[in-house]
Amino acid sequence: MRWLVAAGAAALLSFAGGCTWPQDAGTTLDDVRGGVLRVGVSEDPPWTHVADDGTPTGAEVRLAQRLAQRLGARIQWCPGSESALMPALKDRVLDLVVGGLDAAAPWTAEVSLTRPYVTMRTVVAVPPGTTVPDDLSGVRVGVRAGTAEVAALAREGAQVVALPEVTGRERMPVVVGEWRLQELGLTPLAHDLSRHDHVWAVPPGENAWQVEVERFLLELSHPEVTRLLAEAEAAP
Amino acid sequence: MRVYGRFELPPDKAVLHRKAVRLEWWTIAFFAAGVALLAVTLGQSQAMKAAWIEDMLGVVPPAAFLVADRYRNRRPNDRYPYGYHRSVSIAFLAGSVTVLGLGGYVVTDSLLRLITRERPPIGLVEVFGYRFWLGWLMIAVMLATMVPAILLGRAKVRLARQLHDKVLFADAEMNRADWLTAGAAVLGVLGIGAGLWWTDAVAALVIGGDIMRDGIRTTRSAVADLMDERPSVVDGSGPHRLPDELLAAVRDQEWVADAWLRLREEGHVFIGELLVVPRPDTDRLLDRLATLEKFARDFNWKVHDLVIAPVDRIEVDRDDDAR
Repeated sequence: MRWLVAAGAAALLSFAGGCTWPQDAGTTLDDVRGGVLRVGVSEDPPWTHVADDGTPTGAEVRLAQRLAQRLGARIQWCPGSESALMPALKDRVLDLVVGGLDAAAPWTAEVSLTRPYVTMRTVVAVPPGTTVPDDLSGVRVGVRAGTAEVAALAREGAQVVALPEVTGRERMPVVVGEWRLQELGLTPLAHDLSRHDHVWAVPPGENAWQVEVERFLLELSHPEVTRLLAEAEAAP
Repeated sequence: MRVYGRFELPPDKAVLHRKAVRLEWWTIAFFAAGVALLAVTLGQSQAMKAAWIEDMLGVVPPAAFLVADRYRNRRPNDRYPYGYHRSVSIAFLAGSVTVLGLGGYVVTDSLLRLITRERPPIGLVEVFGYRFWLGWLMIAVMLATMVPAILLGRAKVRLARQLHDKVLFADAEMNRADWLTAGAAVLGVLGIGAGLWWTDAVAALVIGGDIMRDGIRTTRSAVADLMDERPSVVDGSGPHRLPDELLAAVRDQEWVADAWLRLREEGHVFIGELLVVPRPDTDRLLDRLATLEKFARDFNWKVHDLVIAPVDRIEVDRDDDAR
């Protein structure tokens, strides 16, 4: 019992001593600051995209670059699938994984997900001048094939038109992320098809690093992230 | 002799008992609030999960007490000729097993976390526009739940001793376990903040071991009660003095040549048989037996439902060292 109290006292003292609080269980923040930031990227446009030559682009890639700049770090990109990147992140071979991760991602046993920094809605939107009843049953709606929204639309009774790519020129209601509304000149219907809380993943127990990343992410505003996503969509 | 008599606590004990019932309702309210509060602050942290599950289990002993309270005073009837006092013993067993299970859970959970070298992540939180480390919020919640647990636990231990109520005692143990784990979680979170990932699991391990020891002791005591062990004091630390005192007092009666007594505990009360050997040429034997029954009841409020049988001699057939 006595050593427990001693441990508590030691923890308090190190806090009072002006060290960073909380501290990493390892040394991630110290290593990254002025060093190398190893970022795992999994493909999820427009959040992230890895070109054939290995160059990553996308909204979260831009954000990671900003974070690295802030910490005076050089980025080393490591593209891969989530199942390949997360175990590497757990063992601190990577410092950060980005790729449109959702707060409901099933990786919490391996890694630590940050506090959600932005919530993006997926909406059914219509070209200007078109009127569509709020009830979608029987209405033809265009949606990108192979996405969860196909099922969501079907549940609402809509007549699903699966498309290889949504361009906004389909002349029917389409399912898009809210960041595309302005670019495509569409008007969203009243209710959202789905909402996603976006997070990044960091190694578990690297709490100083996690707090640093979260502080950076929480400073971002919703319009800012929307703008980055729209830019990423517009890029070839 | 009057049978199927209702058992009532003496007035001063009845007041204490009503107080205990009130305390138990408060305990349930407090645990419900604790569970809700922790559910909000829990986040992704594994560190607080033990404390949360503990709060859920913490409802079992007071609930067992309150359920038993509904039954224990019912008058004996043809179907339950011994009355309902045992409901208290059953509640005691339920409470004890809960404490034991909780200790076992905390120990295995923290051992697993140590073995897998699990590093608990604690990030930022935003409350009313203020951003700060989630660990501080966890510590605040833990400290807030500790205070009522300490106060309730202390009040209950005192009442349990006065009422000879083992359920209440097991519940007080549970409250003690509760604030100890909360304290361990506070130290654990502080350790995590200092970058020492293992403090959390180690603190929980030590506390879990302590809770498990309590659970083993009370469970043994509860099982022994149901096995009709001789009455013991409320914390199970030794035999109760009442049977020996009563037997001595009965033997002191001038018309009693010899006597033998066995008592068992049924909840608050002691129930059993008393054999007496009257001296030769004792007159008015029935009157004397009736007086003796009243004497035994008045001897202590816990003596209830004592069957007295006059016999011509008592042979104790004890051929081994079983005691």
